[in-house]
Amino acid sequence: MTEKQFMDQLNASLKKLSTEEKQDILQDYQEHFAIGKAEGKTEEQIADALGSPNKIARELLAMYHLEKAETNVTAGNMFRAVWAGIGLGFFNLIIVLGPFIALLAVVAAGWVIGLAFSLSPLLVLINVVIYPGSFVLFDLFASIALCGLGLLITIGMYHLTNILTRGFIRYLKLNTSLVKGGLTND
Amino acid sequence: MNVQFKKGILEICVLVLLEKQDCYGYELVQRISDKIEIAEGSMYPLLRRLTKEGYFTTYLQESSEGPSRKYYKLTDKGKDYLHEQMQEWKEFSNAVNQLIEEGVQNND
Repeated sequence: MTEKQFMDQLNASLKKLSTEEKQDILQDYQEHFAIGKAEGKTEEQIADALGSPNKIARELLAMYHLEKAETNVTAGNMFRAVWAGIGLGFFNLIIVLGPFIALLAVVAAGWVIGLAFSLSPLLVLINVVIYPGSFVLFDLFASIALCGLGLLITIGMYHLTNILTRGFIRYLKLNTSLVKGGLTND
Repeated sequence: MNVQFKKGILEICVLVLLEKQDCYGYELVQRISDKIEIAEGSMYPLLRRLTKEGYFTTYLQESSEGPSRKYYKLTDKGKDYLHEQMQEWKEFSNAVNQLIEEGVQNND
């Protein structure tokens, strides 16, 4: 691969980054090529030793998405960070996706329980409207108690979701820093 | 050597080299790849990450040959981090060496 081919490929794979950051990255590799050539190496030798531009871009993109998820916690940013983490290799498919799905399931279940409990008085009301004869005070009080419990669970889930999201971003960061610095030459 | 294993160690290598003197990227890459087989291109993402974590600062310096070079300088935070990492590495490598020696003795 020539210097131009290497730089073009890297440039194309880094489309998502801001122009400023992309320039900064490309400059590092330009400098690397320039010094290598001054030492008498050919462009092909230098490019070979650098490795695949796509792999380099994958690491940089994973880093970028993580930073975004960290500064601006939205579901979309989280998904992109997880996706980019998985993109670093098969090893990561299991290490990243497994905990993520488990976490998602726990959070989703918690929210569903909290909301269902909170809305239970509504069900009693609907029941009374449809079958006016069936009203029992016990139902009403039980549902009010459930509603209170549901509200507590919902508030708890709100905080738990925040904590878990932060924790998971940290886990992703640790994971990317481990997988990063890809030392394979293939 | 195992790929996953080498990755973490690379960080210590970079930090150690920068503790002695400021270096430019190419220099760091060459000095490490002389001793350890690496994909040289992945060193730059590593340097970027450590810079963003605040362990290095960078500055440009003119060179007599070719374009100006980006030098990396270890910060105080970077030094603290290096010493932490070195301590961990020493404990880890001592433990591994001990296990290897015990293994060798048992085989005799």
